[in-house]
Amino acid sequence: MKAIEIKNLSKSFGKKKVLNDISLSIDRGRIVGLLGKNGMGKSTLIKIINDLLTPDSGEVLVYGKSVGVESKLRISYLPERCALDKGMTVKKVIKFYSDFYGNFDSSKAMKLLHDLDLDAEQKISKMSKGMQEKLQLALVLSREADIYILDEPLGGVDPATRDYILDTILSNFKEGATVIISTHIISDIERILDNVVFIHKGEIILTSDTDELRSSENASIDEIFRRTFRC
Amino acid sequence: MLKKLLKYDLSSIFKFLIIFYSLSIIFAVSSRFFLSFEKSLAMEIIGRIFSGAAISMMFSTIINNLMRLWVRFKTNFYNDESYLTHTLPVKRTTQYLSKFITAVITMVVSISVIALSLFISYYSKENMDFVKSLLFPLADSINISTFGLVFALILLIFLEFLNILQCGFTGLILGHSMNSKKMGMSVLFGFIASLVTQFALLLVLFAFALFNDNVMNMFITNSPVDFTTFKLLAIIAIVVYMIIICAVCLFNLKQFKRGVNVD
Repeated sequence: MKAIEIKNLSKSFGKKKVLNDISLSIDRGRIVGLLGKNGMGKSTLIKIINDLLTPDSGEVLVYGKSVGVESKLRISYLPERCALDKGMTVKKVIKFYSDFYGNFDSSKAMKLLHDLDLDAEQKISKMSKGMQEKLQLALVLSREADIYILDEPLGGVDPATRDYILDTILSNFKEGATVIISTHIISDIERILDNVVFIHKGEIILTSDTDELRSSENASIDEIFRRTFRC
Repeated sequence: MLKKLLKYDLSSIFKFLIIFYSLSIIFAVSSRFFLSFEKSLAMEIIGRIFSGAAISMMFSTIINNLMRLWVRFKTNFYNDESYLTHTLPVKRTTQYLSKFITAVITMVVSISVIALSLFISYYSKENMDFVKSLLFPLADSINISTFGLVFALILLIFLEFLNILQCGFTGLILGHSMNSKKMGMSVLFGFIASLVTQFALLLVLFAFALFNDNVMNMFITNSPVDFTTFKLLAIIAIVVYMIIICAVCLFNLKQFKRGVNVD
């Protein structure tokens, strides 16, 4: 059974077609890069998988089942913005996660907070944007999920911290889980990817094993991306 | 999961309302205290000021209760926090019910705090006798106790507020599904939903009036209704409000289950 199966998915906003009849299968245990320029449909696709958007047509199956309560237990999702209640302290958010997610490991979260130099007593509203992103990442990685979906995890992070974040991701997700990383910053991330999916104007234009693509094109994924999406 | 949702919803609303509850009671106690000095004009003036402040705080309590419930509904379901709310492993119906039950509980508490503040401010044998003398003829003629009459009136007000609140939820759900960026659409749909429910209530009363001349008099004459008709109208209004609230709740649940589209 595939981790995620997308069948003939379409989504429009008004007259603008953002996803156009796309189909895609993602195997278990792979780290997949969902790559594309800004506004090409990456986040829309991720939002549909996470039940934040309703598709116009098509279907998304997570471990063979439609999106719903069960899929939400399997997926640990890092959104591109801070989704936490800013009135809460870090400690309260950890309690919130452990209340709702049976697969949340509070002690792992506390350890990650310590590693990421975050204070458990601090109020989220008092944190900088970067700190909020780190906190969300720690919370997402503290779940023993089957699928991790990270939407632009490096978006607001300085280059010096990117490697640290990527190492944190690599060393903390559940073994055997599937990881989907959506980004347009390829150079930093390509070293960890098993597969890549290129998305452009709401259509999937390429899916490939990363190593095979590199050797067949004799170029890095970053170079192939720049070549493919050159304006 | 409903219990867990309720825990967070209730604490979020009460965290805010506790300020109004405290002020309302503090002003009521202060008013009582200063008005107890019968022979001091200065104390009486201060007492009257506190009394006014207590009354305004009672109004603020109920208005802020409504506003806070709407704001939390929007924040949780359609703003940034929706990215977490909608990815929790909880059914949408459970999430809506949590908001609805939170509304019922917080409004019951708010009305109780208002009643307590009124009691603290104004309780005296003379005042109670005055209220009783005002309500007794009505209560007696419709064969219920004065307490029963007061309870029925409070219940009617409570249901009216609950209906307004739910219409606000309807407005947010429909408004957001039409145009997520314009809050005006939510206000418009909320207003329309409220009008529709009020019209439905009037329609039921009119249908009832077709079979009851006393009720019909309310529609075709401007003479005041008699006490027996008043009792009948109150009972119909309470029952119809309850039905309308359930119907709007089911409508909202259906709309909500269709899915959301967050920005």
